[in-house]
Amino acid sequence: MGLSMTINGDHLTSTADPVTPLVDVLREDFHLTGAKPVCREGFCGACMVLIDGNPTPSCLIPAALAQGCDIRTVEGLAANGRLNPIQAALEACDAVQCGMCFPGMVVSLTHLLTTRPEATRDDIRAALTGNICRCTGYERIIEAALLALATP
Amino acid sequence: MSDASATMNFRRRDAADKLRGRTRYTIDRYLPGMLHAAVLRASVPSGRITRLDTSRAARMPGVRAIVTAADAPGMIGIGIADHPLFARDVIRYDGEPIAAIAADTLMQARAALAAIDVEIEPLPVVLTMADALAVDAPLVHPAWRNYEVLLAGGARGGNVAWEATVVRGDVDVAFARPDVEIIESCFRVGRQNHVAFEPRAVVASYEDGRFHIETSTQVPWTIRNATARLLGVPASQVRVTVPPVGGGFGLKFDLAIEPFAALLARASGRPVRLVNSREEEMLTCLFRENADIRIRSAVTRRGEIVGREAVVLMDCGAYGGEQIFLTTMTAHTLGGNYRLGAVRLVSRAIYTNTAPNGAFRACNGVYNTFALERHTDEIAARIGMDPLVFRRRNVLGDSDFGATGQVFEGDVLGPMLDRMDTMRDAAAIPPKRTDGRLYGRATAVGTWFVFVGPSAATVNMNADGTATLVTSGVEIGSGSMMQALPQIVAGTLGLAPDDVIVRAADTDAAGYDVGVGGGRTTVSLGAASLSAAQEVRTKLLKVASEMIEAAPGDLVMRAGRIEIAGAPGSGRTISEVATRAQAQFGPVSGTGAFTGSGVPAMPGCVAGHFIDAIDIPVFAVHDCEVAVDTETGHVEVLSYRVVQDVGRALNPRAIHGQIQGGVVQGLGYALHEEVTIGSNGRVRQNGFETYRVPLALDILPVEINLYEGAPSIGPLGTKGAGEVPILNVGAAIACAVANATGKRVQELPLTPPRVLALLLDREPALSLPHIADSWIDNLVRPHGTAE
Ligand code: FES
Ligand code: FES
Repeated sequence: MGLSMTINGDHLTSTADPVTPLVDVLREDFHLTGAKPVCREGFCGACMVLIDGNPTPSCLIPAALAQGCDIRTVEGLAANGRLNPIQAALEACDAVQCGMCFPGMVVSLTHLLTTRPEATRDDIRAALTGNICRCTGYERIIEAALLALATP
Repeated sequence: MSDASATMNFRRRDAADKLRGRTRYTIDRYLPGMLHAAVLRASVPSGRITRLDTSRAARMPGVRAIVTAADAPGMIGIGIADHPLFARDVIRYDGEPIAAIAADTLMQARAALAAIDVEIEPLPVVLTMADALAVDAPLVHPAWRNYEVLLAGGARGGNVAWEATVVRGDVDVAFARPDVEIIESCFRVGRQNHVAFEPRAVVASYEDGRFHIETSTQVPWTIRNATARLLGVPASQVRVTVPPVGGGFGLKFDLAIEPFAALLARASGRPVRLVNSREEEMLTCLFRENADIRIRSAVTRRGEIVGREAVVLMDCGAYGGEQIFLTTMTAHTLGGNYRLGAVRLVSRAIYTNTAPNGAFRACNGVYNTFALERHTDEIAARIGMDPLVFRRRNVLGDSDFGATGQVFEGDVLGPMLDRMDTMRDAAAIPPKRTDGRLYGRATAVGTWFVFVGPSAATVNMNADGTATLVTSGVEIGSGSMMQALPQIVAGTLGLAPDDVIVRAADTDAAGYDVGVGGGRTTVSLGAASLSAAQEVRTKLLKVASEMIEAAPGDLVMRAGRIEIAGAPGSGRTISEVATRAQAQFGPVSGTGAFTGSGVPAMPGCVAGHFIDAIDIPVFAVHDCEVAVDTETGHVEVLSYRVVQDVGRALNPRAIHGQIQGGVVQGLGYALHEEVTIGSNGRVRQNGFETYRVPLALDILPVEINLYEGAPSIGPLGTKGAGEVPILNVGAAIACAVANATGKRVQELPLTPPRVLALLLDREPALSLPHIADSWIDNLVRPHGTAE
């Protein structure tokens, strides 16, 4: 048996204990190490993935709850090997430092950009409160999001 | 020779993978057949281990190896070897390791920890520096006299792990002058947690009789040498390699969990993965130390500082560690910024039964700059002088003496203050404020240094026209390894920076290096890389001169070609020359080594110091404006400006990123990051819920001006830029809040409750009775006398 879910378009099955946090299933069973378990408390956002389109900290979701869901991780956001608009903007703005928070940042900002193309600087700051970065002081990330929004 | 400016602002090569989630940090490494490890940690701050029996745990399912103090005979430390790997008979802090287990799964390893039978008899506890310095205080290390001294000169005694002093001139005479005011200030700061996003993590294996340690560290060579020392094996038996590091900030500037994994790998014969949990990181992270500071100055009415004395108590926790080294820095942080007459300073690392403290970005400097700048404002207020005028008159300039008698070169801080004025004047005038909040502004100066020390580099020229740079440098996020070093090599060899391959750190492949930290990467590793690249350049030009039939001095290297100067398109490609050279003489490579020669102090001036004077001083001027809500105590930062001395900016964009990040981390320190220790000796903030770091909503864009041209021995005139941005943030915010509220700010962070207490006059004036009134009574040994 096992838990089946769709991850980045692939149907996958895991034999993990159903209470295992999704982030560990992704990393250990499927070798998708993009999502980072940093706080394991739902505060930092480094483990953020899209579950049925909603940004969700994967450290808080037991694998059983992801059963049958459509999951998209940072690894699945660069379509055909090309960075998506927010990834490209983050690269162009030289936003990345240690990079550990970025898998989660990219997931949250990809969602923001697709659902709220009219977002303002303050909306972006508010949307990022669930994604902590210890290195960059956020400014470049906000700049990149504005750039991505302004790019047709 | 080198034109790295041609390659300015080139982007990071590691960004695209980081943005795709592809970069494999140490926490992402899973080797086939790998075991998982967990560490049993003490849950009392002080006690004697009366029984330790691992036999029941050894029979638990999946358990492959258990190690304890018996497996790790050595002791490590800086200055004094006081630190064993596992608690040996005695527990000195809550969280101290007692045993480590490797099992097939992490769950099994953790379950087995609970089956270790351990009995601990409680011992007396000292949790604060005041407790530790009390007469008849229990000793954290009763056998301190027996420890091996690794560097002579520091005074020690009882719970004073190390004492460093500076005495220059006659302070008593200065203080007795009839024309001076004596201003005394006291300050206290708490601990700060780095909260590096990647916890400390390691994967170790034991192959062909040698240890291979893959680890998230800033200091591969320290890991190699210290692990060997603890395990009692020759250093040559340990190889350290370092994947990309997910944040350092000084947290990873010391040995951490590597030896546990190494021992378990040897005992089990399998690779072993050990990753600290976030809770372990929060409780035992080698925090920025808490400190108590008293500073007194004798200042004339005209604003001349004729005498200064200070006592700085730095809590090192249960083991000396980096605090011992950091006692050195007080001479340059509290003794920096301003021209001084006579001066005497004592900086003491104090043992307590708490988790050990360590290095954190601009270590020691952040709180001493806070103390010095607040004290400076108190001086200005007392003598009735505008604080900016006072600073302008007194900041260190050309030929001025530092506290240890070092002679400073060049006028840097003065012009930087001017530049800050210009920036401030250019800003839009803030709108009229009628919201009832209190407004304040402040400008704070800071002096820091670049930690130079030994570095090595090799550049291998490849026949395809690329070059491979081999060093022990580590990319911790700052971009030094991914941007600055390849720019330096590329500039020297006329290549595109992307054609310089940067080899990840491997102690088997690259020469000794002190580590990535202290703002030293671009300077020390940069200088070694520059000289390695110059050797390659010389060799290639020699071969090219035969091929092109021109004197080497007439040739230039640029855009992947070697050509006759002034004749673009002449000559050959670098690849052609490298191929010919390889066929004729063998592959072309160059090596470079660097270290600072060290600046001497005035004779007799310092005692117990690791660095007498600073090789490369770095200065910063910060300015901010705050609004204080009188009802909530909330401090909002309205503007923040930085003028930073960078020597020469090789990659301004990368430096700007470091400044924005460093200032925000400093805002956390100034306004809300606070680690406290409960009466049980345990750190109270064990996760992100209880320890509040800045969020995107808390920040503002920092206005930045890079000051270039100050003297530097760094390659191409560079200085380190990543360490300094946090230096004067606490100082600037504290001075601005003091100006806004009219209250005496003596402690950080300025959390809303603390600010409210200040506003309501409910915060009693800070008193530090464990600092003796007479400076000399604070010393275990008079300055300059032998042990
Ligand atoms: S690890 Fe999931 S939110 Fe921090
Ligand atoms: S880049 Fe390091 S945590 Fe964000």
